[in-house]
Amino acid sequence: MAAMQRVMQSNVSTSAATSSCYGGLSSCKGEEVMISDQFPAGLRVLVVDDDITCLRILEQMLRRCLYIVTTCSQAKVALNLLRERKGCFDVILSDVYMPDMDGYKLLEHVGLEMDLPVIMMSADGRTSAVMKGIRHGACDYLIKPIREEELKNIWQHVVRKKWNENKELEHSGSLGDADRHKGGNDDAEYVSSVNDATDASLKPLKKRSNTKEEDDDEIDNDDPSTSKKPRVVWSVELHQQFVSAVNQLGIDKAVPKRILELMNVPGLTRENVASHLQKFRLYLKRISGVAQQGGISNPLCGPLEPNVKIGSLGRFNIQALASSGQIPPQTLAALHAELLGRPTSNLVTAMDQPALLQASLQGPNCIQVDHGVTFVQPLVKCESSSSKHFPQSFPPVEEVTSGFRAWPSNNIGTAGPSNNGGPNSQNGNMLIDLLQQQQQLQKPQQQSIVPELRRSINVQPSCHVAPSQSSGFQAGNSPVSVTQNGSFSRTAVIDYNLLSSQSNCSSLSIGHVSDVNLQTTGILSGYIPPASVSPSVSSCSVNADNCASQQVQTSNMIYKASRNFPGFVHSTSNVQDPYGSTKSGDLLDQAPFNNLGFINKGTCLPARFPVREYQSPLCSSSLGKVFSENIGTRVKQEDNAQVGIPMLHHFPPNDLMSVFTE
Amino acid sequence: MLGLAADRLRADTNRLLAFLFHQGILDEQFLQLQQLEDESSPNFVSEVVNIYFHESEKLLRNLRSLLMDRELSDYNKMGIHLNQFMGSSSSIGAKRIRNVCVAFRAASEQNNRAGCLRALELLEHEYCFLKNKLHELFQIQQQRVLAAGVRYPMQN
Repeated sequence: MAAMQRVMQSNVSTSAATSSCYGGLSSCKGEEVMISDQFPAGLRVLVVDDDITCLRILEQMLRRCLYIVTTCSQAKVALNLLRERKGCFDVILSDVYMPDMDGYKLLEHVGLEMDLPVIMMSADGRTSAVMKGIRHGACDYLIKPIREEELKNIWQHVVRKKWNENKELEHSGSLGDADRHKGGNDDAEYVSSVNDATDASLKPLKKRSNTKEEDDDEIDNDDPSTSKKPRVVWSVELHQQFVSAVNQLGIDKAVPKRILELMNVPGLTRENVASHLQKFRLYLKRISGVAQQGGISNPLCGPLEPNVKIGSLGRFNIQALASSGQIPPQTLAALHAELLGRPTSNLVTAMDQPALLQASLQGPNCIQVDHGVTFVQPLVKCESSSSKHFPQSFPPVEEVTSGFRAWPSNNIGTAGPSNNGGPNSQNGNMLIDLLQQQQQLQKPQQQSIVPELRRSINVQPSCHVAPSQSSGFQAGNSPVSVTQNGSFSRTAVIDYNLLSSQSNCSSLSIGHVSDVNLQTTGILSGYIPPASVSPSVSSCSVNADNCASQQVQTSNMIYKASRNFPGFVHSTSNVQDPYGSTKSGDLLDQAPFNNLGFINKGTCLPARFPVREYQSPLCSSSLGKVFSENIGTRVKQEDNAQVGIPMLHHFPPNDLMSVFTE
Repeated sequence: MLGLAADRLRADTNRLLAFLFHQGILDEQFLQLQQLEDESSPNFVSEVVNIYFHESEKLLRNLRSLLMDRELSDYNKMGIHLNQFMGSSSSIGAKRIRNVCVAFRAASEQNNRAGCLRALELLEHEYCFLKNKLHELFQIQQQRVLAAGVRYPMQN
């Protein structure tokens, strides 16, 4: 049975991969894989938990549910991973208490940027904690210990969210007839599924898969950009136009009709604009709500949260500042627009933000000045938390053809005025890094293109992201100096157009910026320590074949590795070829690092190391005897354990509290 | 002869497990762990348990150093460590340890230093005991493997 399961698992992951694009063969549209033949198998889950024990257990459980698992023990790394591969995850499981970032903050980020369902987990099952999770928008809250049965059902959140979005779209009236029919069906079923338990949601699911077999073209797993629905694709320019129209009218006075007139785009209907406006407004609201929560130095803002929140997204500062009226509404709208990273059309919306921001900023110069001014304060504040920023959302995988190195060239090709650039604001100085790193590491062709692609001014998110920990990239220094100037040059540099071309580089830099405990293979893609090139190569070839590297990858994900970054740099070239075919957006194997020993150490019975340390705290000498022995003398320990047992009577479980009342 | 050894070892395993369950040291979550072990992850239980030990010792060290700091006891940080300890302990089914953590957390929320100290000692005690027992379990398992000359998962 286990063998069968394994085979099935590999089949599933293969088929899921081919349909879900990890190998880069097809496009990695976020929703595509959702409804495959074996749904919910193949669901792509990202698990974030600083507790390695739980991470490992969850990984195993999720694999057993036939999901594709990616694990991550650091929230920041996870966030970058999500931004890099916007369409490549369906659901996120996140712990609440994590050292580098609060789980709730991660939740908010994900909700704002990617709009993926997030399920919180914690050992803390108190009502207040659960309530907090719900308030922050978690789809669900699981209490540890988590059982496999609970994990089996997480797909319902994915489905529910999709249908919610669908419903929104349908209301905008931009769907065709066939879709209306389907939409009607789904609506009815969806309503019931929301109210009922999982059973109800199975019904619409089956219906979908049935109809999917019938007309494959029409409903392509809810993905608007691939289906033949007459749904409007909000491209960068379009969104740009939308935002400028909104700015012109004023965010409060912007009505769809007038926006439509101002935009003057043939083929665009009022309904399209209306739905888009609605989403836009929701986004603004959410952001301002979050920003107020986060707070900045603005006195009008509410209680300040630690800079973590602020620093992470310079735009929040804008929000808060905007709310205090320091920023003109147009700028606000423009900046908000950049935040729209709805995954409804991953490819498209991803492109919105940079060009959007660009466009808006290319407008009146005064706005840029304002940015400069308004940024100074939050920027200063954010310095301390700078390390949190990583280049954001890189172009969805589908833009990337195979080849690690090929990325830049491809993206450059497409990163013309139409701007495929990965979205999002937080480029920060990291882009400068990337730029320079690219120039160093990548093909020279990029250098020529880079200056071309540079537009005049883009808003730079507040914090610089100097890879302080790594030494591999000299480029790291430059952003630091730039930032410290506090001048407008900061804001001037980042070019979103470059994002696409820098995507791979960003992954390099991410690898650098992240902590020594590098936990995500995706980010380190391309960095394989020379020592372990061979195993990685072999596994890479496997990946190349299957494009389903998840199993291998995820097993590597949790390995802590204290790497020599320079080693990474050097090894990049080594692994160029093996990764040529797999790199496309795939999470490359972080080959089992030397520090695998952290786990290996554990597997040999380590009686000595940890035990000794506890001899002192132990108050019972008998137990101390037990642990001074080696494995070989386990028998003796058994005897001593007998001695130990009476000790336990002193602390019967139900009398734990009495210990404190003594 | 070999069969006898295998039988004896199996009996030992069962007895040990029964003892642990009966005493409330382990709960059914541990069974879940055992069920997760299959051919693709043949050493899953020992792998996870070893990760747990490694992490727990770090946590216990941190807790102790936090408590030993007489000037300023950072109960918040303690709470965070405790939470993680609780999570991982409950995930592997270490029921008793988890219960002690709950008590510990209550004491830390009341800033009751003496109570925290007592809880920490109890925690260390319980942890050592569990570790001892689980090592024993793994050792029997290894012996079974040697005796049988064949690898098979823990529950058999």
